[in-house]
Amino acid sequence: MRAKDRVKSKDKHILNLADIVGGARSILYLKVDLVAYDCDGFTIHKHLPKAVVFPKNTQEVAEIVKYCSANNLPFLARGAGTGLSGGAIPLNGEIIISMVRMKKLISVDLENRRAVVEPGFVNLKLTNSISDKGYYYAPDPSSQYCCTIGGNVAENAGGAHCLKYGVTTNHILGLEVVMPNGEIVEIGKDGIPDAPGYDLLGLFTGSEGTLGIVTKITVRILKNPEGKQTVLAYFDRVEDGSQAVSDIISAGIVPAALEMMDKTAIEGVEAAAFPVGHPKDIEAVLLIEVDGIAAGIEEQIDQILEVCRKRDVREVRAAGSEEERARWWANRKTGFGAMGAISPDYLVQDGVIPRSKLPEVLSRINQISSESGLRIANIFHAGDGNLHPLVLFDARIPGESEKALEAGSQCLKVCADVGGTITGEHGVGIEKREEMRFVFTEEEIAAQTDIREVFNPHNLLNAGKLFPSPSRCVEIKKEMKAQAIS
Amino acid sequence: MIAAESISALKTYFREDQIGNNEASSPFGNSGDMVVFPETEGEIAAVLKHADLNGLTISIIGGGTKRGYGGLIEKADILLSLDKYTGIVEHTPGDMTLTVKSGTRFKDLQDYLARYNQKISLDPFWAEIATIGGIIAANESGPKRLGYGSARDAVIGLRTVYPDGKVIRSGGRVVKNVAGYDINKLFIGSMGTLGVISEITLKLRPIPKCESLVLVSFPTGNLEEIRAFAVKVLDSMIEPVSLELLNPALSDKLAGINSYTLALSFEDVESSVRYQEDFVSNMLPGDAELYINPMEKADLFWNRFYRHIPNGAAEELPAQTEASLKIGTVNLDSLQVLKESELLQDKFNVRIESHGGLGHGLSQVTIRGAEQDVIDAAANVRQVAEKAGGYAIIKHLPFELRKRVDVWGNKPSYFFLLQGIKTKVDPNKTLNPNRFIGGI
Repeated sequence: MRAKDRVKSKDKHILNLADIVGGARSILYLKVDLVAYDCDGFTIHKHLPKAVVFPKNTQEVAEIVKYCSANNLPFLARGAGTGLSGGAIPLNGEIIISMVRMKKLISVDLENRRAVVEPGFVNLKLTNSISDKGYYYAPDPSSQYCCTIGGNVAENAGGAHCLKYGVTTNHILGLEVVMPNGEIVEIGKDGIPDAPGYDLLGLFTGSEGTLGIVTKITVRILKNPEGKQTVLAYFDRVEDGSQAVSDIISAGIVPAALEMMDKTAIEGVEAAAFPVGHPKDIEAVLLIEVDGIAAGIEEQIDQILEVCRKRDVREVRAAGSEEERARWWANRKTGFGAMGAISPDYLVQDGVIPRSKLPEVLSRINQISSESGLRIANIFHAGDGNLHPLVLFDARIPGESEKALEAGSQCLKVCADVGGTITGEHGVGIEKREEMRFVFTEEEIAAQTDIREVFNPHNLLNAGKLFPSPSRCVEIKKEMKAQAIS
Repeated sequence: MIAAESISALKTYFREDQIGNNEASSPFGNSGDMVVFPETEGEIAAVLKHADLNGLTISIIGGGTKRGYGGLIEKADILLSLDKYTGIVEHTPGDMTLTVKSGTRFKDLQDYLARYNQKISLDPFWAEIATIGGIIAANESGPKRLGYGSARDAVIGLRTVYPDGKVIRSGGRVVKNVAGYDINKLFIGSMGTLGVISEITLKLRPIPKCESLVLVSFPTGNLEEIRAFAVKVLDSMIEPVSLELLNPALSDKLAGINSYTLALSFEDVESSVRYQEDFVSNMLPGDAELYINPMEKADLFWNRFYRHIPNGAAEELPAQTEASLKIGTVNLDSLQVLKESELLQDKFNVRIESHGGLGHGLSQVTIRGAEQDVIDAAANVRQVAEKAGGYAIIKHLPFELRKRVDVWGNKPSYFFLLQGIKTKVDPNKTLNPNRFIGGI
């Protein structure tokens, strides 16, 4: 072995893991290297992993998992680390299994509209690899230029265009998974639909890396729509904007995307890298995209323009060129990061509400903002009711981070109270564990952890995520049950 | 036989007219020594809890159309009928979501929603009899799955009564939701082996402004030519909601065209539908024939289509034995399935009606003939599916014959996970015992 392939550690686990992945170039174990892995896109909690390993194939993943399992070492899988809820944070000093070297596009089958990728393959690269043939991969989270499809499966990622085309789970046809005991299973062989048995594909997708580690993914790919047109609409009142959203849907139009930003969000995106000249004094901007057969698009655009005009729109127009359309989308898709231009720190939330409750929820979020003294910007997938309140704060001011977390949690409570949920696409992770109680009873949470026990009985894989710590009463019940059995 | 004590115990929960002795037993089994008709979720929970505590088994039934689908028990102790557990719980037209009790018949739902210009994006068989609960529990879909998606794409929330009587909510009433595990998916297609789905929340779609059905028939029956045409359609920018190939017998029965026929349906604004019809007519291969059916004629065709498979709710068996198989393959391999199944007609002296989705990979083969011939042909259909790397499930067969075949085919390598889930949720095997794969 060459000197640079040698691992300089006395820890036998580090040495053994290094052996599995083929030496020093595939493992990080020094503190200086590990700090980059102490959190993901959720930066409020941090914890150092024990090591980070970089397997090249499924067999190596299986061997790492078997080793961790045999030696009682906690472990978790990580993609690009763009997750916003802390799902890849090594709370328990895990061995991080980084999937970034498993980044091949294994095959593309245009005739049967499917592609097979390794989990480290970047979302946008798939579309880029097939766009010349006229195809694309539909789920488009804002981080798609760098996030991995493996991570998308773990989080059941969404994106601006899931209003018409659905989220990740609607596009996953098959998975190869390394189970927490190291066994390799293949679900949805060759992407064939409805395999007899319970729908494990559906269960794995969105399980936030707590049931197994995905090592190969068969996805559905779609034909590019023939035509596409985007409309921009400015409203002086948020209520009019919200009502226009409902009217568009009620008119029987299924837009590919229907996005909204409020005044504070507009201030942010206009101060950041991709300004498009939105007026600063409007209350809401809507971005509405329709796609499909070109012959039918004009009819729908006319209808959308008419609906907006009926709702006192200040200005509404369709994009004049593909270039203009792309600028509008770049402005919107970089919206979260743009908050950095008007605030030192921000916290992204991810509630979902029934669309019709939009005005009510926005006014309650305003109230939370004034009570907490923190500004809250709202960027949302208005068509499907997925709100992203961005709580702006300054972590340097003592107590403000806590205040921001509290305000974020209150926003989620509002969403839950109007019949919505606490996360639409970012996942529960660490961030929203306690908020799970806003939407589920103790019994319902137990029903879910029961399922986890089938897959991950020793809870070595990504422990401490997704579920609130069991309440006292459940713990006592479990103890009593254990005693009764023994 | 169910003990008299149990009957009297159940009588404390139910009125006389909610309990019956299920004397008219079905030739398709999945029946019960007694039948109960709960009208509330609480009553469903009471029956389940009673059965679970007393070691009784329960068979669940909606409209009964899938009574011939799996199951090796002629009579469970109790038949739980959802016939009287019906109705809409909440419909919010502005949110395009609907919450409904599971015993509600599918067609009743669609008729109700049509008043709001909305619909559930599913096209199940026997919609006037089948219940939404049964459709979800069996994960039933039709040819329009290509455009509509399936039950797992439409369901956003469930309330499920577990065998011990607790009610577990999964998902919610919003269209996007990643809070916790997506255990909706576990119940969809679980054949009632995990719980009784009591309420279902679905996302709705607008009724399209215009619909049409384009039939393209291929008199020469050259499957290579059909394949090439289908590939061209799939690679074009038109967006058919169905791209379903019918074998000559089925095409003859539904449209009077005795050759392989592709059924392409279009649903969109009128200008788009007309454009796509023209597009198809311009790309027609030499000897293919085109039939464009406007909305009313299309309706007629589909109404016949959704009734062409055997109905498990029938009280008596027809003179000839009937079997129906659901086959899953890679999309275009459904061509192969149809072609090779066709050859079984002469070999086993049976009649076969078949159709397969070239854009989604699910086929259905219905076999009619003498008892043993039907069983042998079904086994051969499975061989055809497996040779193509797929699977075949026998989704309809009389009870007596189900005992002689393997309804579900080989267990997957990850069967231990399926069994693990069943054991966690229904440890006493109270619900629909042996109805599902591997004796689950």
